[in-house]
Amino acid sequence: MNWSLLFQSYGSVFLDPQVLLMTLLGAAGGVLLGAIPGMTATMGVALLIPFSFGMDLIPSIGLLLGIYCGGMYGGSISAILIHAPGTPAAAATLLDGYPMCQKGQAGKALSIAMFSSFCGGIIGALVMTFLSPLVANVAMKFTSAEMLMLAVFGLSVIVAISGQSIAKGLISAFFGMLLCTVGLDPTYSAKRFTFGVKPLYSGLQFIPVLIGLFAVSEIIAGAERIINGEEKQESSNEKIKEVLPDLKTISQIWPQIISGGLIGTFIGAIPGAGGDIAVFVSYGFNKSFSKHPEKWGTGIPQGVASTESANNGCSGGAMIPLLSLGVPGDAVTAIILGAFIMKGIQPGPTMYVDKLDTVYCVFAALMLANLAMLIVGCCGVRFFAKIVSVEKKILYPIILVISLLGAFSINKNVFDVGVCVVFGIVGWLMNKFEFPLSPILLALILGPMCEQNFVRFMDLNNGNFGAILGRPIAIGFFVVAVAVVLFSIWNQQKINKREAEARKAAAQKPAE
Amino acid sequence: MKKTQTKAFANLVASVILLVFEIWAYVQTLGFKVVKKAAVQPATFPQVMCIGMMVFTIILLVQSLISLKKMDPDDPNIQPAASINVLKNKGVQAGLFVIVLCVLYVALFKTLGYVLASAIVAAIIMWLIGKRDVRQILLVSVLVPLAMWLVFYKLLTVNIPMGILEPLKDLIDMI
Repeated sequence: MNWSLLFQSYGSVFLDPQVLLMTLLGAAGGVLLGAIPGMTATMGVALLIPFSFGMDLIPSIGLLLGIYCGGMYGGSISAILIHAPGTPAAAATLLDGYPMCQKGQAGKALSIAMFSSFCGGIIGALVMTFLSPLVANVAMKFTSAEMLMLAVFGLSVIVAISGQSIAKGLISAFFGMLLCTVGLDPTYSAKRFTFGVKPLYSGLQFIPVLIGLFAVSEIIAGAERIINGEEKQESSNEKIKEVLPDLKTISQIWPQIISGGLIGTFIGAIPGAGGDIAVFVSYGFNKSFSKHPEKWGTGIPQGVASTESANNGCSGGAMIPLLSLGVPGDAVTAIILGAFIMKGIQPGPTMYVDKLDTVYCVFAALMLANLAMLIVGCCGVRFFAKIVSVEKKILYPIILVISLLGAFSINKNVFDVGVCVVFGIVGWLMNKFEFPLSPILLALILGPMCEQNFVRFMDLNNGNFGAILGRPIAIGFFVVAVAVVLFSIWNQQKINKREAEARKAAAQKPAE
Repeated sequence: MKKTQTKAFANLVASVILLVFEIWAYVQTLGFKVVKKAAVQPATFPQVMCIGMMVFTIILLVQSLISLKKMDPDDPNIQPAASINVLKNKGVQAGLFVIVLCVLYVALFKTLGYVLASAIVAAIIMWLIGKRDVRQILLVSVLVPLAMWLVFYKLLTVNIPMGILEPLKDLIDMI
């Protein structure tokens, strides 16, 4: 490592006013876009890339990375405040973020999300700076067998996020995986569950389903609660003295931040896997190894920290294969790759030899983007936290029309708005019958990855699944997946036992 | 508490509905294209998912039957089921009304356009759930969709149907 060049590059990025301004603007735009349900960081980067055309490479990369990191955090704002994840990578944040908001701790949840996002991003940037060639080498050994087992490993988290009934969680997960098969089969283009409806040929779009399941269903249920007089109006009485979490909270969440950041970085480095997978893996992993797994999902800071550090850790991870191999780790880095090529730079192994100063400048820009996201987040926490005190009778219809617009904007297709409404109804009914919704999301994310890699692996090995035994990384993932499932089942039984005892004690108290 | 009002009974009903759905889905997969010499057929993955769903649905069904059989109706620990009674529960009626409005919204999205359809739906829902300040209802239900449309149209260059308000685009473009 060329330390003097590294420091020189960091200095040139951090002291350049244009880079500072562009990164800050990017982060602000990313946070705002990410907070709108349906607008992902990818869309933000794609929409705003034309603004970077006239700039030099580093300011334009700063702008794009600012949007990327800001968008990752922005998604958590709506997940925490209105139960509608702004981006798929924030889908797991609502598991604990929204209950925290319901407890009147919206500001605390937001500041934890922001701080964890920042730390996760820094972990990703540090790993990228010091270990990128090494991580890239491991990640590039991934073939269909490893990707299949990575998907299986991701799915093993379902048991941990299933709640009281594992059977219901698994039914939800299989239902989600079944939904992934709607449309043309990715290998042979055979029609599956399309019923002659052309928009279904491309399958169900993830974002409309996500918005429907979480936002629309919540609005239907909210209307029901208001009429039944069960709706509690959250107020912004919570006094936010500090926009960053206090030392006591940081001491509670640091293990989740570090593990989430590392999980996010590693998963982000695998081409095709991104923040949406990393958050669930991190949540499941941290819940499984928690001393009090029963508290997860009830609104605890650790839950928010584990997911938010993971999704921002991905930003650093995804840059690793991009810079060291010229292979984008996710959709955003694919767009950033385009920005590099437009400026006449081809990322790849030779970049570490010919353009090492540019590589270090990108490392610095990512670090700066995370810092910019923290600054924007700090400025916005008090304002965002006020949203919950808007009267629910006004808030719900507003969320509905914004959410449905988000569903439309993906493909500019009214059919997607219909899909969103249908899944709103499905989500409402599933909530009524107490089927968990998160496993569907996880299955929707991992289902296509699972099927495509399974089919590819079987085709390459002439239908011999046993060939997977010759892939040690794949077997490693499988063993960890089995361990996570067994551990989660044991944990859930412990939780159910404790809850049953608590119910029994509560029932005996009035009798005494 | 009656056994039919418990969570266990709700689970039983859900299991039966799910089993019907799963059998239907499995039968559908039998009609998928068969590819010669393919290691994995297009129907394989959905079939495995249907079977997986069936297995856990049957487990849920058995669990519900056992807990219903063991259940003591006087036990204070029995968990009640959420109400879905449309006739008796006004909240459920409101929820269904919101669903109907959403369906109408989708149907009229292109004709009326985003701003108008959203304003109408938002205003009706606000009134439905008890907001009675007409001025506030009108202001919020018109201004929010209008502002969102402006953000998407001008800043993000996403073209959103405006229906009968299409001339508004020309007006904004002129400004």
